[in-house]
Formats: sequence, C-alpha cells, structure tokens
Amino acid sequence: MHPATPPTTDAPVGRAHRTPLPRRRLLRGLLAVTVAAPLMFGAAACGDDDDGAADPNAPVKLSIFWWGGDARAKLTEDALALYTKKHPNVTFEKTWQANQGYFDKLATLTAGGNPPDLFQIDDNYLAEYAARNSTLDLTPYQESGKLDTSKFPKSLWQYGVVDGKLAGLAAGENTQGLVYNKTLLAKHNLPEPTTGMSWEQHIAWAEQVTAKTKVPGTQDPSADYKAFWVWLRQQGKDLYEGKDLGFTAEDVTKWFDLWKGARDRKATPTADVIHEGNSSDITKQLVVTGKSATSWVWANQMPDLKKNTKDELGVIAYPGDPSAQWARASMYWSVFKGSKNKDVAVDVINFLNNDVEAVKLLGTDRGLPSNQDLRRVVSDDTTDPAMKQSIAVEAELTQKFGESPQVPIKGHSKVRSELIKAAENAQYGRATPAEAAAQFVEACKSAIA
Amino acid sequence: MALTTAPDPTRRGPGSDRAHAERRGPGRFRHSEGLAGYVFLSPWLIGLMGVTAIPMLLSLYLSFTNYDILTPFSEVEWVGLANYERMFTADPSYWHAVRVTLTFALVAVPLKLAAALGVALLLNRAWRGVGLFRGLFYLPSLLGGSVALAIVWVNMFNRDGAFNSLLSLFGITGKPWVNDPDWALETLMVLAIWQFGAPMVIFLAGLKQVPTELYEAASVDGANRFRQFRNVTLPMLSPVIFFNLVLETINGFQGFTAAFVLSNGTGGPVDSTLMYTLNLYITGFTDLNMGYASAMAWVFLLAIAVITAVFFSTGRFWVHYSDGEDR
Repeated sequence: MHPATPPTTDAPVGRAHRTPLPRRRLLRGLLAVTVAAPLMFGAAACGDDDDGAADPNAPVKLSIFWWGGDARAKLTEDALALYTKKHPNVTFEKTWQANQGYFDKLATLTAGGNPPDLFQIDDNYLAEYAARNSTLDLTPYQESGKLDTSKFPKSLWQYGVVDGKLAGLAAGENTQGLVYNKTLLAKHNLPEPTTGMSWEQHIAWAEQVTAKTKVPGTQDPSADYKAFWVWLRQQGKDLYEGKDLGFTAEDVTKWFDLWKGARDRKATPTADVIHEGNSSDITKQLVVTGKSATSWVWANQMPDLKKNTKDELGVIAYPGDPSAQWARASMYWSVFKGSKNKDVAVDVINFLNNDVEAVKLLGTDRGLPSNQDLRRVVSDDTTDPAMKQSIAVEAELTQKFGESPQVPIKGHSKVRSELIKAAENAQYGRATPAEAAAQFVEACKSAIA
Repeated sequence: MALTTAPDPTRRGPGSDRAHAERRGPGRFRHSEGLAGYVFLSPWLIGLMGVTAIPMLLSLYLSFTNYDILTPFSEVEWVGLANYERMFTADPSYWHAVRVTLTFALVAVPLKLAAALGVALLLNRAWRGVGLFRGLFYLPSLLGGSVALAIVWVNMFNRDGAFNSLLSLFGITGKPWVNDPDWALETLMVLAIWQFGAPMVIFLAGLKQVPTELYEAASVDGANRFRQFRNVTLPMLSPVIFFNLVLETINGFQGFTAAFVLSNGTGGPVDSTLMYTLNLYITGFTDLNMGYASAMAWVFLLAIAVITAVFFSTGRFWVHYSDGEDR
C-alpha cells in the first residue's frame, strides 16, 4: 500500500505525538468511550451461568426440547409441572416448536455446545445421534431399575437400542395406519377396506372408489418409506440389514411397478396431488383435504387428522400380512451425553413413562403409552373417539405384530428423501420404475456409506 | 473483505502512526482522534469479526474436514481435498443444483432488469399520480425474501389457486404450477421478476441524472424516440445498469427463501427447485455433512467472485462514465 516511509520523518511525528492534547479533543475521546463501551460490553456479555451441584436437593434447571403442536405443548407442560410439584428443586426450561426445522435446531444447539439436557427424537435421527456419541447410554439406569422398562413390550424398548446401547426410551408406541374416509364410502355404498386385504385387493378396491365417487381411492404411497418398509418385510426383506441396505434394485422396481399399475388404473390421484400429500404435514393429508379416500399415516395420528375434517374416519393396518408391522417407538426421549444433570433427566423420563398421573395427562399424544399397565388405564379413561379408534386398532394389531426391525441406520433421513425423489420421478413419468429404482439404490449406497 | 486489512487498533507502533501522519499531512494527526474512531467503530468491528470473518475462516477450515455438526470440534478429522473431490466427481445432485441455479439466474436476472428499466422509463414522467405508482411498483421488493410472500405464491399457483381460476375465466385449464417439476422453477422466476422494485428505483434515479440537453440535441439532429433511447439513455445509464446487473446477479444466485418455502425445504418436486444454497443447506443441516457443505459454500463464493470479475472486466467496453468524472 504505502511505500516505506523514510526514517527522517520520524522526528516531527514523534513531537506531534507528545504535544498536549487540546481539551476539546480529549472530551470528544471520552465521549466516544462512554458511548461505545456499553455497546461493546453489551455485545460481549453472553452470560452463561452453570450450577452443577452434586447435592440431590440442590436446585436443578433442566432444559427440555420437543417438537409438536399446541396440544402437545399443553399436555407436556402439565406433566412437567407435576414433576416439579413432586420435586420442588427441579424446574424446567421448556422449548418446543413445529416438526419442520426441529432437527436443524437440535443439531445447531448441539454444535453450539448448548444442547438440551433432555430431548425428543425419532427413529429418523436416533442412530445419527447415537453413532456420534451425543446420546447418553441408558442401559446402566435400566439395569439399576432407575429407568423402569419392566412393563414395556420388550420389542418396544429394544427399538431404542443402537450398537448395543439404549440410546433413547420410547415415549410412546405407534404403528402404520391406513386411514380412510368412512363418510364418503357410506354415501356411495362402498365397502370399507379391512386389515389383511392384499395389495392387489387394496388397489382394486381403490379403483372402484375412484370410479364411483370421483375421489381417487388411495394416495400413492410409493414415496413413503414406511409403506415400502412394510411391503419389504412381507417379501421377506427389510429396509436395513446391519450397516447395509436390506433390499435390491429389483425389489424397488417391483414396488414402483405395483404403484405405476395403480396409477394407470386411476386408483390414485395425479402426480402433482400425490406430491402435495408427500410434502404436506399431517393436517393436510389427502384424506382430510378430500383429494383421496385413503392416506398412509401412523395410527396415533388419527386425532390430528380428525381435527381437520368433518367426515368420519376409519383406520386399519396397511395391506398385506399385518405381522410385517411392529410395535414402533413413535418417538423417544434421549438424554444428552454431556448433560450435567443426567440422573435427574433420566428420572424425568422414567416419570413421564411410568407415573400414572403423568401418563394420564399425556394420553396418547406421543403414541400409546409404552407402559402396558398404564396403557389400559388410559384407554379406559379416554373420551376422544378418534383416540379410542387408534387405541382399538393398535390393541388389535398388537396380537399380530411381528419382530421389531433394527433401528434405521445413519443416513436414513437421506434415504427417505431419496425415495421421495425417485418415486416422484416415476410418478411424473420422467423415469421408468426400473430407472428410478436404480437411481434410488445408487443414491442410498452413498447416503449410508 | 478488504475490511480485514484495516489497521489493528491495538497496534500502536510508530510505523502505523507514521502512515497515518503521512496520509493526513504532518502534525495534523491526533492520536486520540484515531482512538476515538476505533472505539466508535468497535461494535461494528467486533460484529464483523465475530459474526462474519471468524466464522467464515472457520468454515474454510471445516471444508477440509468431515465435520458433521454433532461431533465436537476437537474430534473433527482432516480429510484434505476429499470434499472438493466429491463435489466435482461424485455428486450428481450437486451439479443438478448448479444447473438449476444457473437456469434461474440466466432467465430471472435479465428479465427482472428489463422489467425494472421498462417500468422506470414509464414512471420517469410528470404524470399525475406517478408517485403512487412508483410506490406500488416498489412495494413487492420491500417484501423481499419474506416467507409470507412465498406462502402466498404457493397458494396462488396451486392447481386450485387464484391464477388458475383467472385462467379458467378464459377457458384455459391451468397446470399445478408449483407442484409440477416442469413449472415449479418458472414459478419461482416469476416471483423474482415481480420483485423488480429495488432496481427500478435505482434506474429512476439514474434516469433523472441524464441531462435534458442531450435529448434536445438529439432531437435537433432528428433522432427519433428509439434512437434517443439507444444512443443517449442507454449509454448514460450504463453505470447504473452495471451496478444493478452485478447486484441482481449475486442476488439471483443466492435465492433461497422462496425455493425453501415452496418445496418445504426439499428442493422438490423432483429436485426442480434445488437451488445451490438450498442444496447446501440440506447437505449441512439435514444430512449433517457440514464439512462438505462448507466446501460448497467456498466454491460458491469463488464462483460468484469470478462472475463479478468477468462483469467488471467487460464493463470497460460498455459502461460509460460521463466526461471522465467518476460517479
């Protein structure tokens, strides 16, 4: 920038430097400091107070983070207030938000070194967090009885085990549920679908519905990993086997072909409406927006669906042999490994799952209560007809459930979005089922590598 | 970026004083004034360092690692150029995103500038109520990257949205624009073009600067309207066009909000709206490949820098600054 200044200029500058400051300048400088200082310190003062105490009765502030709507927030806050009532030294810093963006926020909090002590997570991300050692292994607490899973179905708590460690405890149980519009079917004198119908029978039924009601009979679930998963299990395959995929491109081609056939027979909506269903949250699923007679959801989402439609809804298992379905942890509670209040956090999980008052408060919002004794209490208690329905279908299916699959592996969320992309490629007619399948399997391999 | 080369306020060696003294003339410089300046500057400077410069440099480092957000910094592994290698050789969706972004920018930016210039020409007259129109045309760009606007857009261009209702009045059956992979990106382009208010206002200001003598001289010479536009308006406006072109191109490349909202954060349907920044976001926050996402960000920065440099180097052939003065 500037050429080196010759040394001769040194003297005058030095003198200028030593001349006394005129008073006005000094005052101006002082003013600057007084104005700027608070700004600086305001920006710099990022308070972090930590009270890590060993005393069991010392005050503990536990941060807890979940996703969900207003209803869930209300129920959860009530249940946590009950805990504080029983343990006055424990208070909660509660944060919740909608599902969209939840995992971005959780990842950012973790990266920022400020993760919540206790957080809600699902099988989409459990392995991601467990594999990176972000979740506390709950096995020792389970063994010492501080975390009581004795009343849980074994397959349910096992669905929280990643690499031999209990990474999360099921906050509730759900399973795949096919929800259909009863009112529409009754109006046109059409039969209701039943559990155990084959896929072919389901599509034939949907075709008939479309023909008579002008409402497409069934949402095309080819982009839906949970439908694909059930179908795979009925073919003796699985989504994952160990650290690998449990299926081949041929399986995917068969799956896409099945639904291409259904689309050709007009059993499903058009591609853009299918896409709308794929990319909307539960409140805008096609069965409630009236754009199809059937939607593919989780059974415990019945109350949410019912809130958005005046029509009567029914729920059954997905087509094919229902033993391909399993007692799935709808979501988990996990404890951050670096939490200063691990023991309290575990105790809160235990409370939310095994305390009769708390479980009654929470109802079936996160799925059927994991504790089977309390599940009976809640189902006897509930008055919400939609909730009753979802409890009834799950109770019926519980008799038929098969073994739980392993928890989806690291990269699963990418696999899910790749399935949507590939299936939609086939739906819009931009690729043949075989091309879309090959592309999907290729993408999966790099996603889980 | 040039700001990072600003003198360090904590360093008070004679050398730096000398440099200042030389710049301001001997004896005039007062140390306290410089200090006061830096103290006033400090909130901004701390903000720049803390919020922009340091994180940016950190991301440069992260782009050579396998950082996945969840793993603590201390356990991050250095992977050399692997992320860059993957981007250029093994990631088809990366190149797909590049294509989508280029298509978007190549169509939306020129059309937006044309719309801005056209409307600015119309509004550069002394009509009654012209101020109201200026305000109305400027309004959409105030809503800028707003999420609400994108949501409205999605609902307008649905299969049963307002736009198709309008078309049906003329007996045309519309398409499910936002849910059709062949049209979703075009819908986003229309949204971007519609927000031409900001460049329009700048064009208007530029048009006001063109001396009326030039038009008078031109009409005396018998130039018609079109000739006047081509030979007077465009050259006189070229610095403003250049400014808007650079700014809007950078904006166009960085489009994120509308694509994110329209596709629910997925870039769908079938990746048709997978803009570069959206792909970067998904890679970093959904797929937890933050190291790789950082590499993408740096390549993006370089690409934009190169494009801007190209603009600047071609500028000398078509940008005219009147009578040698700088604007």
